[in-house]
Amino acid sequence: MNVMLWGMIDSMAYTGLDFYGIEALLTEEELMIRDMVRDWVEEEIIPNIEEACKEGVFPNKWKEDLGNMGILGAPLKGYGCPGLSYTAYGLICQELERGDSGVRSFASVQGSLAMYPIWDFGSEEQKNHYLPKMANGELIGCFGLTEPDYGSNPGDMITRAKEDGENYILNGAKMWITNGTIADLAIVWAKLEGEIRGFIVEKGDPGFSAPEMKGKHSLKASITSELVLQDCIIPKDRILPNVKGLRGPFSCLNNARFGISWGAVGSAQACFHSAKEYAMSRIQFDNPIASYQLVQNKLAWMLREITKAQLLAYHMGKKKDEGDWIPEQISLAKMNNVDIALEIARMARDIHGANGILDEYPIMRHMANLESVKTYEGTHDIHNLIIGRYITGIQAFTRTI
Amino acid sequence: MAIAVLLKQVPDTTSKISFGGNSVDLDSVTKWSISPYDEYALESALRLKDEGLGDIVAITCGPARSSKVLTDAAAVGVDSLVHIHVEESIYDSRNVQKLLSSALRRLNCEVILCGKQAADTNSGTTGPGISSIMGITCVSLVSEIIIEGENLIAKRSGPSGQEKIQVSKPCLFTFDKGTEELRRPNVRGIMMAKKKEVETLSSSDLNVELFESSVEFDSQFPPPEKPPGQKFEGAESVTSVVKKLREEANVI
Repeated sequence: MNVMLWGMIDSMAYTGLDFYGIEALLTEEELMIRDMVRDWVEEEIIPNIEEACKEGVFPNKWKEDLGNMGILGAPLKGYGCPGLSYTAYGLICQELERGDSGVRSFASVQGSLAMYPIWDFGSEEQKNHYLPKMANGELIGCFGLTEPDYGSNPGDMITRAKEDGENYILNGAKMWITNGTIADLAIVWAKLEGEIRGFIVEKGDPGFSAPEMKGKHSLKASITSELVLQDCIIPKDRILPNVKGLRGPFSCLNNARFGISWGAVGSAQACFHSAKEYAMSRIQFDNPIASYQLVQNKLAWMLREITKAQLLAYHMGKKKDEGDWIPEQISLAKMNNVDIALEIARMARDIHGANGILDEYPIMRHMANLESVKTYEGTHDIHNLIIGRYITGIQAFTRTI
Repeated sequence: MAIAVLLKQVPDTTSKISFGGNSVDLDSVTKWSISPYDEYALESALRLKDEGLGDIVAITCGPARSSKVLTDAAAVGVDSLVHIHVEESIYDSRNVQKLLSSALRRLNCEVILCGKQAADTNSGTTGPGISSIMGITCVSLVSEIIIEGENLIAKRSGPSGQEKIQVSKPCLFTFDKGTEELRRPNVRGIMMAKKKEVETLSSSDLNVELFESSVEFDSQFPPPEKPPGQKFEGAESVTSVVKKLREEANVI
């Protein structure tokens, strides 16, 4: 914190929109964790994110700080994991994504997609071996499900595993893998005798490489990679023993999607905050543009949608904590919240006028990030189909033509 | 307790300050924090603890909301927490000094750290006042403390450069901007802090009879807006610029 005297402050601290008083429903512990992450984002992410995006790097310092704060794998209990509520996990995602979706993606992948499958489906040895070091950021994980030709349809994946004496041999390619190149281990989903199984592949295993995918206009400070498995040999004790079929990867995705539904609120808040401040100070036709009805209408719409999204996310957190939820509810929260966040980013760009395209403001970065967030972890359309199936009982994913 | 750190809760320096009537509207403050100079004192206390000087007690004096600074301090590693509960703002610094001194005596603290002044009142009297009441050494405007056997060395900026002042215990240090920012809490610290009990004391618990306030609250008001800048062009304006600098700005 800088030492300043009263009266010298010209810009107001970020407090976050809380129109329906959700903050009052949070526990003191949840608020302290939120503020810890918020302060970190304020000090480490916001001043450095544009540089990281330009360079296309996820700084090591961020990885270390996330580990030191002890927020990785937030809702997991035991094995050195934080054991927080799902609401606390949501708040962490919200604050990280207020900084940048790429930072939240890092934490989502580490916690929900790499630690969670080991925690839920791994052997005792695997849990003891990997989880404490993943919780403190010493080991970074990634999650290999999507393939170049199998995105929304992972069930038809091509990647195969076969037994070979004391080992498994993996062959195939995964794509769009967050953290891939910087990961120490990958949870790879592959078919063993026709059935989807999870395998822990470590950096340095023979036949395994993770080249980085370059040229993204979105999530530029997040590392995205391919995973190449060419006769990759891993010892037999690296299979996740306790899950078979799509239930494995889908369980992980449910947790990650829950986090995204909160994260999107963070992005939306960042855009709203910037749009409000800009509208209040930007003078056109002798008055702040915030005094004009068209701008107020936009701000009112943003507040309305953020408030609804907060309520969805908060209630989903409670349901997760109580263990009373169905995946369709998470689909709705993820789909809706990312959708409105993207729309708010676009509207915020409008309010900022030409300034909205500059990196002086966070708007275009959030907007470009949210295009990815809308697509990954189940596309917007796929979530609609999940809800469509819930309503009608008829699945509309596949058909024979 | 070996080490005491005195923490004051103030409106966060980034929080917008609104005025209602003739005073600051405290209800409109969106974020309260540990006063920044007290944060430097706290970090220094934590470092002394890390080096084995002993446990830390954090003490605050203020209304109910101010116990939050104690929980925040516990989250970064403070061992015990004392809240001297007073309902209203105390404007007579002597009363704050009296209350804190009494608590410090009870706790038998040998090394006391606090900020050089609080970010709200900027009075700068608490540390020196306490040292005077307790009759102990006070080193002000400190940036770092080093353990030297049984003694402590305080580093501070003096008029001719860095000064090192060695003192014996008991002693009190008031902190200027320190060399290290306050460490960030972590989840484990926050979980422990939540379980840590705050000992709440009233002035009667401390057997302190408060002075009748010698300070009367008159009013608070925002600083006047800065007048717009003035522009001067050409060599011929030099005379008037010099005149203005001497007579209006009082800088030459």
